[in-house]
Amino acid sequence: MSLILNDLVPIHWSIAGVGIAGVTLALLLLANRRLGISTGLEDICSLVLPTPYFRRAAVLSGRGWRLPLLVGLVLGGFLSAALSGGWEPIWALGIFDRAIGLGPLGKVVWMFVGGLCVGFGTRLAGGCTSGHGIFGLANIEWPSLVAVLSFMAAGIATTQLVYRVLFPLVGAP
Amino acid sequence: MTLVYIVLGTIFGFILSRSGAADYGFIQGMFLFTEFQLYGILAVGVGLTAPGIWLIKRRGRTILGRPVEIEQKPFHRGTVVGGALFGVGWSLTGMCPGPILVNIGEGKLYALAALAGAIVGAALLGSFYPVIQKPFGLPALKIGTGEG
Repeated sequence: MSLILNDLVPIHWSIAGVGIAGVTLALLLLANRRLGISTGLEDICSLVLPTPYFRRAAVLSGRGWRLPLLVGLVLGGFLSAALSGGWEPIWALGIFDRAIGLGPLGKVVWMFVGGLCVGFGTRLAGGCTSGHGIFGLANIEWPSLVAVLSFMAAGIATTQLVYRVLFPLVGAP
Repeated sequence: MTLVYIVLGTIFGFILSRSGAADYGFIQGMFLFTEFQLYGILAVGVGLTAPGIWLIKRRGRTILGRPVEIEQKPFHRGTVVGGALFGVGWSLTGMCPGPILVNIGEGKLYALAALAGAIVGAALLGSFYPVIQKPFGLPALKIGTGEG
């Protein structure tokens, strides 16, 4: 299987795992930062919303490092595309196009609804794949294990429902 | 220091982009059990980060000599309910929060809609925190649900 991005062959999982561990540990060793991306969503909200939740010290004090990290994530994606055959706007969505086949407007609605779940859910759970999945598990925090089991179970159930029941593909997806 | 965070974010984003962690098909493959790439990444990532954190905690100081203090995440009903809701969203979009940004950088236009949804979702959680605090047993507003 290849990536949607420029039909690339992905790097080996062990190399990716080493790299992600390296970045996580660098943040901790360099600056006592606990990796966590979803709080960055609150940092973005805090730029425009004056509600008490987004004026908390925990949010405001983290903006100085988390927002640059988020900018880097966008840059990393851009470089990855630019260095592998060129950057161009992409609407392709792989298996989604083959099984569900919605056009751009349908994809935007689908993604917005999914994004709502990601934003509300991660902040309700207090973390996402990075904060609970990588850092929380590695730091042996049991609430993180509960969170990981919850989002993996729900993700498996949803995808199985979408691609095995509602929009089944003939043959292996 | 800002530049350090941008560089670390760029490396992180590049790895997510090239490994399949920011790829809709690989995420669906993980949830369908037809692709084991993401399980491998998570296992190696956690497996190496764990002893690293242990060593850094034992050292007790950052490179610059500041104390290392890791705030642990609290447990509440939101951990389960929010986690499950996030799982639904991760499946629908094929993106968790980091990869939403990576996908935008790659040029995937629909990822902008996912980001808009995620920001609105976080804004709703923050705005209604006092309302849902009791039913979900969430910590005081000052503390929040947990950073990360």
